[in-house]
Amino acid sequence: MNTGSNSNRNGARKARRTSLSRSLVKPLAVSIMWVSVALGTALFLVHYSQGDDSSPKPTTAADTTKPSPTAKGWVRGNPAAKTVLVEFADFQCGSCGLASKTVGNLLKKHENDLLVVFKHFPLEVVHRNALIASQAAEAAGRQFKFWEMSELLFKHQVEWMNVPDAQTFFLNYAAELQLDLVRFQRDLWDSELRDKIYRDVLEGQLLQVNQTPTFFLNGTRIPTTKNESEFEQVIVEAIKKAK
Amino acid sequence: MRKLSILGWILAFLAFVGMVDSAFVAINSGQHFIIPCRIAKGCDEVLNSPYARIGGVSIAWGGVFFYLCISTSGIFAAFEFPGALRFTLLISLAAFAFTLYLLYLQVFVIHAFCDYCLLSATLVTLILICHLAVRPWRPLL
Repeated sequence: MNTGSNSNRNGARKARRTSLSRSLVKPLAVSIMWVSVALGTALFLVHYSQGDDSSPKPTTAADTTKPSPTAKGWVRGNPAAKTVLVEFADFQCGSCGLASKTVGNLLKKHENDLLVVFKHFPLEVVHRNALIASQAAEAAGRQFKFWEMSELLFKHQVEWMNVPDAQTFFLNYAAELQLDLVRFQRDLWDSELRDKIYRDVLEGQLLQVNQTPTFFLNGTRIPTTKNESEFEQVIVEAIKKAK
Repeated sequence: MRKLSILGWILAFLAFVGMVDSAFVAINSGQHFIIPCRIAKGCDEVLNSPYARIGGVSIAWGGVFFYLCISTSGIFAAFEFPGALRFTLLISLAAFAFTLYLLYLQVFVIHAFCDYCLLSATLVTLILICHLAVRPWRPLL
């Protein structure tokens, strides 16, 4: 009797388990499908956003009617290099910080074949301390520490980006770079440096720069929605072509 | 039962939108210089700020995981397996607290807003409301 009822109970349990696992299959399958469609949609949007570059399309080498940036500005790399990368940047822009790291790495790899030109493009309307940061970099530049100051400005961007007294932070960075602080403070407000920055801005505006960072490679604008590896590839190809 | 099923599908739908949103940011983040931002215009500051990453990994991946849990639990609830909602109620509460922290950072520290973060904050709030509407702490079936 007992053996019979036990086997009945076991059978019922087994049947319950089978029906439970069967009924779990449907929601599990729907969940997997649901997640796959969501992730697929995200991937499609990433791809779409990369192709959706609203900035002007690059000019071709043959198209000489389009203006191209001059190589005047703060330069790094080999001045005799045939590949020239011009960057319009804003020290308060997070993307510019990322881009400066990428460009720095590229320069390390191709220091003999690449010239990088930095131009100021402070977006004053949205970035309250962008102009004074550019002035700080220029003031440090008068003491031959433009790139060192640029690096510090990008590195500590969050500290000074929204404070009312950003110059206090810049003075600290100047001290860290062992600059002549009296001279630095005087240069920080020098109208000559401000004019120099505005000349870069004007040049950028003539070239229809409307976001930062914006890059021009040998006079041709590179879409900034390219990812880092694509960006690097474009530059490496230009270097190979120039050789 | 019908209410539970409807709320389950609503949760799954909200999580679907959230997953697309977080995965888009997570994939883009660190890969591109500029992440397109159409409304709030502060994506650059927010998504490239040091608060956007923990140990070098974008926190948006945490969002992807959260929405994955919610979507699975919502779909199971819609198919009359509401037990997981008890677990996702807890993670929804944690996600809501973290959302408040992120909003605090955007308002008081970074002084900029990003479209994707605001959308996610709205979704997390709606997900918590849906969970509270189900009241998963009492017997569900």
